[in-house]
Amino acid sequence: MAERSTPIRVLIAKPGLDGHDRGAKVLARGLRDEGFEVIYTGLRRTLDAIVAAAIEEDVDVVGCSILSGAHATLLPKLVASLRASGASDVLVVAGGIIPEADRPELEQAGISGIFGPGTTIAEVATFLRANARRR
Amino acid sequence: MPADAKHLAARRELAQGISAVERPGPAANQRIQEALAASAADARNALVVGLTGSPGAGKSSLAAALADVARAGGRRVAILAIDPSSHESGGALLGDRVRIDEHPDDDGRFTRSIATRGSGRSLAHVAAAATILVEAAGFDLIFVETVGAGQAEIGIARLADVLLVVEGPEGGDEVQAMKAGILEVADIVAVNKSDRPGAQAAFDRLRSGLALGAGAPELALVSATAGAGISELLATIDDLGAGRGVRGRARRVEAHLVAAAESHVDAQVREARASGALTTRAEQIVAGTQSLTGSLTALFGISETPDA
Repeated sequence: MAERSTPIRVLIAKPGLDGHDRGAKVLARGLRDEGFEVIYTGLRRTLDAIVAAAIEEDVDVVGCSILSGAHATLLPKLVASLRASGASDVLVVAGGIIPEADRPELEQAGISGIFGPGTTIAEVATFLRANARRR
Repeated sequence: MPADAKHLAARRELAQGISAVERPGPAANQRIQEALAASAADARNALVVGLTGSPGAGKSSLAAALADVARAGGRRVAILAIDPSSHESGGALLGDRVRIDEHPDDDGRFTRSIATRGSGRSLAHVAAAATILVEAAGFDLIFVETVGAGQAEIGIARLADVLLVVEGPEGGDEVQAMKAGILEVADIVAVNKSDRPGAQAAFDRLRSGLALGAGAPELALVSATAGAGISELLATIDDLGAGRGVRGRARRVEAHLVAAAESHVDAQVREARASGALTTRAEQIVAGTQSLTGSLTALFGISETPDA
């Protein structure tokens, strides 16, 4: 991260109704140890709340953890809402249980990275460093 | 969807401003001065309330509860939640939003998580500058929440107009209440979690310990989660804050000047460590080949003049 003067800021969000945040917490802690500033918002946040938090925290990345199967609805809406709020340079990535078949559509909608079970923290960190906006 | 561009534009501008002043330099200073000029032109007079205390005492919940009451009274309220950066990785886990309800449609609220970064203290270098920007953005009441490292932690006292120390129900005994340190500079000590066993006893211990000295702080027994005593606590904060006049802004600039100086020294220390110069010098001093005075000059540009 020598080329950056400040740490990459990442919002880890749990949109919608699923109540499983173990994966989100492991990732939050892991990214902290990789030198990221991680803002964790807690469970069951609405998309509006996630967008407002991303704006107020001026994050470079929004990472959503979704295990409920609602990714196909929630994630494209989130990207559209961020763009409408002027945060179009914020990278949106997702983790959780997301079937292979759903990926092309999500990527089309602007979800830059999709990380399934078995992804290591180091892989996520490398992806974020390569793809987050520069400043 | 209400979270449209116009709706969030003001919050976005403030958020980006805070990021900008997190990178110290002439551009950051320029931005801070513009904010000061804007606040002066608009005759703003925000009240900055510091909240500090041990991890788990309930600072975030209490800040959120106070913010809810103040917002219900029509005031524009901001929370700046400061958490430590890792000395190892430089990263940080900022989790205070978990305890603060989101109000995405309300432009009268603003919450920002701030990592201490290079500060090495519990107050981020950027904290004072952030309050200056938040005031210029039209917020009347600004809570700055920071983990108190304990007795030596008074950075927040320099910044805040009113300093609130938050204790849990298991908090200190009479002798701890008598020690020098944060309780000495506290304007208010709030025992939180009054709904839990032991809170009243902790409150009584604190009262008897603090009563022995002059200039004892105000005491409050509250429950952030049950909403008990919150309105009364806000009234006490406002009473104590009422006397600040227009000194508040000068206090924040003073705190920023100190932070800028500390930031400069911290950067020099980091550089001296990273380059190995610090270790080399220490070994040379032990071996008798370098002097302490000469090394302070060489490492940090400190020139000590002989005592008069």
